[in-house]
Amino acid sequence: MDSLEDICKEATFKKVYNTYNKEVWRFIYYKCGNTAQADDLVQDAFIKLWQNCAKTPLAKAKSFLYTITNNAFLNEIAHKKVVLKHAKAQPNRINSESPEYVFEEKEFNQKIENAIANLTEGQRTAFLLNRIEGKKYAEIATLLDISVKAVEKRMSQALASLRKEIGNV
Amino acid sequence: MDLENLLHKWLNGTATPEEVTQLKASPEYASYLEISAATAHLKTPEVASDQNYKAIASQLQPKNNVRKLFPVRNLLKIAAVLAIFVVGYLYVDSLDTTIHSQIAKKETFTLPDSSEVALNANSTITYNKNNWNSQRTLNLQGEAYFKVTKGNTFSVKTPLGTVTVLGTQFNVFSRDKQFNITCYEGLVSVAYNDTLIKLPAGSQLSIENNTLIKHANAFAPFPSWTANESSFENADLAAVLEELERQYPIQLTATFSNANRRFTGSFTHTDLTLALKSICDPLQLAFTIEDERVTIYANKSQ
Repeated sequence: MDSLEDICKEATFKKVYNTYNKEVWRFIYYKCGNTAQADDLVQDAFIKLWQNCAKTPLAKAKSFLYTITNNAFLNEIAHKKVVLKHAKAQPNRINSESPEYVFEEKEFNQKIENAIANLTEGQRTAFLLNRIEGKKYAEIATLLDISVKAVEKRMSQALASLRKEIGNV
Repeated sequence: MDLENLLHKWLNGTATPEEVTQLKASPEYASYLEISAATAHLKTPEVASDQNYKAIASQLQPKNNVRKLFPVRNLLKIAAVLAIFVVGYLYVDSLDTTIHSQIAKKETFTLPDSSEVALNANSTITYNKNNWNSQRTLNLQGEAYFKVTKGNTFSVKTPLGTVTVLGTQFNVFSRDKQFNITCYEGLVSVAYNDTLIKLPAGSQLSIENNTLIKHANAFAPFPSWTANESSFENADLAAVLEELERQYPIQLTATFSNANRRFTGSFTHTDLTLALKSICDPLQLAFTIEDERVTIYANKSQ
């Protein structure tokens, strides 16, 4: 194995960490909605990657991390309501709008947050991976180990559920 | 194309502007687009990357020191140590056994076939105990008395010749050019040069300076030296004094001129003064003892 691709080398491991730690962390966060748990699971996942560094080629590190966190989540984490904090959210329409509209916008966002918290874990993870992470359906299907059709279904269900809660805008 | 598929196309980022217009025409799908667009602006909390890495790094150090285990390598180590022991044991085991008696000491021991050997002073026996039962052969330098149990051929090799028996009691003396075999029981065959001599019980064979002397020796049932006494019959005095030096830790000086005397008699191995008297008195010699130095001289007063 090329030494640059050897995850057992700490420099390579650090590079893998810098590349993937944030998206893996958010992936868990979409599932459990708890930052402390997301921290723990990310740490566990990377320690497991280190322990299995000899068996894991660099190309498989990403899917290894997702699989480990996904399994750990399914095994250990009690399903909780996810409340996304979006205090820093910056809707792009805010600048040119009237104060009245700004208020409506905030109210609208508040509604979305609550509605997302009420989605099922599967729907929410797929939906947020697509919306926030900008991942394509095929990629989401791989990460969650489901079919593209299932992703489509979850997306449709998520949108229908959100619209039902928020009402027609 | 139905709107649901267009929606997924849009969510995947591959919808054309016309298709977006098409979606926006439907109030239901327009609101989907609105919700989806608003969701995209939601922010997740900042990830504490550095802090998490510190927690991970604290667990990485031991792994760096972990060497890949090769069970085979460990097995090889064990096997090598065992091999050293086994080879060492086999080597030591295959070595000849040597039994040596010091001056003034006699050794009695039993061979692997329970034959008994009495080793007179300053003598050496070498034999190999591993193939003893198939080949009863030993090397002798000096004098020894054998009580051989019945069995295979029993051979005593000496620099002067080989004594072979089947089961008997016999004495072998082999020093310098003197080669004496005395048979006390059974039959002994002596190979000397190219001749094979059968020696029956109660007879003695002496080879002295290439001369064969065979004579009856019926006076004792066992060699006298095994009873701590050396017996001689018409023996050269020099040989008698040599034997005395083997039985006592002394430095012997003989100052008398006529050394070519013969001696018949015996001396004990337990009392030096008595032994010297036994030798000197009949030959009209005198002696002095100073510590371990013994001088024998002609007794001029007589």
